[in-house]
Amino acid sequence: MPIVIEPYRKEHEPAVEAFNQRLQAGGEAIIFFRQAEQQYLAKVEGSNPYQVQFVALEDGTVRGGYALKRQSFSFADGTVRSIGYYHHCLSEGVINQAYARVGSMLLLHAMRQEQMLFCLGMGGYGRPLPNMLIRLGWSHCLIPFYMRVLRPYRFLKQMERLRTSSMRRIAMDVGAISGAGWTGLKALQGGQRFRAPRVAPFSVEQFEEFSDWIDHLWESARGNYGMAAVRDAKTLRILYPANFPHLTRLKVMRDGAPVGWAVVAERRKNPRWGNLRVGTVVDCWAAPGDEVTVIRAATEALEQRSLDVIVSNQSHQAWCTALEHSGFLKTSSNFVFAGSKKLAELLQPFDQQKSRMHLVRGDGDGLPWAY
Amino acid sequence: MTSTAFEQVRGIASDLFAVPSQEITADSSPETIKTWDSIQHLSLVLALEEKFQIQLSPDEIEQMTSIGAIARLLESKLANTPK
Repeated sequence: MPIVIEPYRKEHEPAVEAFNQRLQAGGEAIIFFRQAEQQYLAKVEGSNPYQVQFVALEDGTVRGGYALKRQSFSFADGTVRSIGYYHHCLSEGVINQAYARVGSMLLLHAMRQEQMLFCLGMGGYGRPLPNMLIRLGWSHCLIPFYMRVLRPYRFLKQMERLRTSSMRRIAMDVGAISGAGWTGLKALQGGQRFRAPRVAPFSVEQFEEFSDWIDHLWESARGNYGMAAVRDAKTLRILYPANFPHLTRLKVMRDGAPVGWAVVAERRKNPRWGNLRVGTVVDCWAAPGDEVTVIRAATEALEQRSLDVIVSNQSHQAWCTALEHSGFLKTSSNFVFAGSKKLAELLQPFDQQKSRMHLVRGDGDGLPWAY
Repeated sequence: MTSTAFEQVRGIASDLFAVPSQEITADSSPETIKTWDSIQHLSLVLALEEKFQIQLSPDEIEQMTSIGAIARLLESKLANTPK
């Protein structure tokens, strides 16, 4: 039977449920949206960003699906363009070779909707999707990943992501029990911070909803970025709505004037992190030169929550430096950016532009269910 | 099938699949070209669309089972495309 791709509607939900069950039985951890109508990023008149979902159907049976988030981005040439974030693409092909073509059919369908597409996250280069995109000639890079360990003993004992062999587990246990791990991590992180330039005093206020003061910050800094999702108040109210209580929004000020903002959160439990409590800098923005101030403010807010570790993905060089100057250690990343050929035309030369893009956790896989 | 359409498809396929042009015949297919997998099939679709300024429907993509079939499909599609 031919496979057709259609917008995901309520009547497809039972077939999606059956598809999810087949994926889970095949060992897949990620499943497709159980409900066709999503409250988060719902497409309503005039809304931007918004998200639409599609399913691949074979005689009524769901064989795959994907989501396309449409969002305005600002580029180095000063233009603001709507582009597509292709995500949650799932194909029966991962568990049944007979459907190997579904993955490429879904991508082709998405490229018909929007030629300027990107993917972000994807679980690392070992996964099928980034491999497919690379073979199609998409531009790609790893988005640097940083962590700051707050409780070294618990981190060393429970960090499943690093405890991948018996030798590693023994070494980490010895480091935890002897105190050597604590000393080493504190020295590394403290050294980073010690070498950093002094940060002028700042104050922080928590707020519930993004309002007009945001817009000035957006306009004052957007020229520093080769590619950044529009972060004006109207957009941020949709991305990080006030009714998401698990997100904390911070206004960072100096001498009473805003110099930046951050959205921070605690991640939901994830087997890769064991029982660790993981805080994340989900998103952030700053007046030029105040990136480190904002990261310090975000870090301090998260440090008050008895977390074990704070993590952040940041692509822009200024934000990477801000993390390093705030005692974060750069470690291996599985957060991959890939941009279609049309999108990459705006990001040339890519090797230089990739560190001028502002891509963070909030732009990629994970919201809102990871927090 | 005209030799022009066949030659053009063969040239694109040769580049994409990294197979010498002379080894590609009208009967060449995913069964005979090892590098012609589902991803390269997508690359082929995109390359043809760019080269001939056309858009292939899912049904047409399913019909692209051999180099000869692709050349015939292109001929018929280009003949029906308004100039």
